Amino acid sequence: MKKILLPLLAFVLCTATTVCSYSGLELGKPVTLKQVTKISEIEKNPEAFVGKKVLVSGTVVEVCSSRGCWMNIASDTPFEKIQIKVVDGVIVFPMSARGQNAYVEGVVEKLSLSKNEAIDYYRHKAEEKGQKFDPATVTGAETIYRIRALGAVIEH
Amino acid sequence: MNWRRWNNIIHRDLGYLCFGLTIVYVISGIAVNHINIWNPSYRIEHLKSSIKPIPAGTPLSMNTVTGILAETGETGLYKNSFRPDPETLQIFVEGNTLTVNLASGEVLQEKVKARPILRQMNFLHLNHPKKLWSWFADLYALSLGLLAVTGLFVLKGKKGITGRGAWLTGTGILLPLLFLWLYY
Repeated sequence: MKKILLPLLAFVLCTATTVCSYSGLELGKPVTLKQVTKISEIEKNPEAFVGKKVLVSGTVVEVCSSRGCWMNIASDTPFEKIQIKVVDGVIVFPMSARGQNAYVEGVVEKLSLSKNEAIDYYRHKAEEKGQKFDPATVTGAETIYRIRALGAVIEH
Repeated sequence: MNWRRWNNIIHRDLGYLCFGLTIVYVISGIAVNHINIWNPSYRIEHLKSSIKPIPAGTPLSMNTVTGILAETGETGLYKNSFRPDPETLQIFVEGNTLTVNLASGEVLQEKVKARPILRQMNFLHLNHPKKLWSWFADLYALSLGLLAVTGLFVLKGKKGITGRGAWLTGTGILLPLLFLWLYY
């Protein structure tokens, strides 16, 4: 019996690290998924996730200061992050979320932008951040993967 | 009591009831109208400073972070840190984000403070609370509609809706239509 129970217990403990127990500032719809998908997994093969509902977690590293309509959360691998977008006003991410851990449930979406659309996209983002934008930095069409958030919990 | 007396009572009392929230919507409305040139909810201050550069390859530990915070004089509560790229370290403390260029030692601080009162007004105006507030805001909107309609019939005679009032009401309807014609 022990032979079965011990590996089973070990398995439960291992998988338990990827199952979240979240509490904090709840935004939008309640988070229903239990299993966290690593952001690195999405970034490794984004096409496989397009249209799928996922629960991701990470440190909030940037928040839209104008409308709180997007935020970036850090990936589990260095130097990577993913954008979390909401329809303006549906969820408003607070600026105070920066540096805090967040759980976000949403659908992975793909933006296929022509060069001109990409210029407009990055110009708009720069305006939101109050930064200057040089259109020459956009060299061609771009594909952006992001998560359309349905609900989020910002941990205290 | 005739209908006009009832009309005026409703107009007067609804006017009193709606006064507070109308002022909130007036102030917040103007504030969020100009969101492209200012942030109506937060005061954001950018500061530049510098620290001793950190040589490439130096492992970044909590001691490094503490040292940077001490060098910049930041005493806020530490929350977390992030490396957006190999040359940059972002440090999040309560109310401040420090973006450090490790090679040059340049530090950009972004201090964020909520605008008192205005942020709360925007919170209500933009219906961030949702839940019960949505219904209350609907009720307020209906009350404004009722205020507008009863307002048409407060006065009778030349200054009422059959005289000067008709011209002013007509102008008030035409003005937004003019802007639709211009911009839509």
